[in-house]
Amino acid sequence: MSNFRKSQNEAHPNKTNTIMTGIIILQILFVSIQIWFLFGALNNALEGNFYFALTTFVGSALMAVASIWVLRYLPEPLRKKPARKEKPKVSPSRNP
Amino acid sequence: MSKEDPEKEPSWKSDFPIEMKRGTHVSRREFAKFLGLLSGAFALSNGFIVIRAMAFPDKPLEGEHFIVNAEEVPVGEMFQFEIQGGKHIPYILIHLEENEWRAFEQKCTHLTCAVRYQKDVNQIQCPCHNGWFSADTGEVLQGPPPRPLPQLDVAVRDGKVYVREEQEANENV
Repeated sequence: MSNFRKSQNEAHPNKTNTIMTGIIILQILFVSIQIWFLFGALNNALEGNFYFALTTFVGSALMAVASIWVLRYLPEPLRKKPARKEKPKVSPSRNP
Repeated sequence: MSKEDPEKEPSWKSDFPIEMKRGTHVSRREFAKFLGLLSGAFALSNGFIVIRAMAFPDKPLEGEHFIVNAEEVPVGEMFQFEIQGGKHIPYILIHLEENEWRAFEQKCTHLTCAVRYQKDVNQIQCPCHNGWFSADTGEVLQGPPPRPLPQLDVAVRDGKVYVREEQEANENV
């Protein structure tokens, strides 16, 4: 039986792929900026610039929340429907 | 006990699959979850820097500390020392000219290699990555170090060399 979700999936077969790629690219972007922030905070904290460390921490925390939040939109893995156990068909042999 | 989905593969089975191919395979879902975890770890380490800066602020060096008798360090020579009771920070005392003394932290501001005074060019060298500092002010002259060497004030009284926290640095804070 067909429903709305199934029709949508059939109409846009690449949708799952696009969402998945988008999420991963977004996360890689967040992590890259976080590495940049961490590097900057380490350098500036050494010089005694406390407010830079604090600002980068707030930014980094927001990005961590965002990158965990986007996981909500991870597409569910496609499941194969369990195969029904069918009785073996016994057909009468045509070549006796 | 929670009711388990009979269609779903149990965790122990997916964690320890029979086929090697399934064991080494990382799906895009797993990779995305790992990135989320990594992102959280970076935020935590950034928070650690903030907590450390708040809980353990750098204390200025208190009082004057006797280092060495002035006659033991001839002009153009360097003397290494540590201040007892504080953090184990190595310092160098440089006798530039008559009555001209300088004291710097010996740790390079790049990757904390030990710096040394080069008498012939009157500069401080970090041999690890060829960084050069001014022996007069500690400013970076060349190379990768991002900051000048932290300095101490030097006072000579009765032929004895004392150091204390740099007064100029405290005024700026």
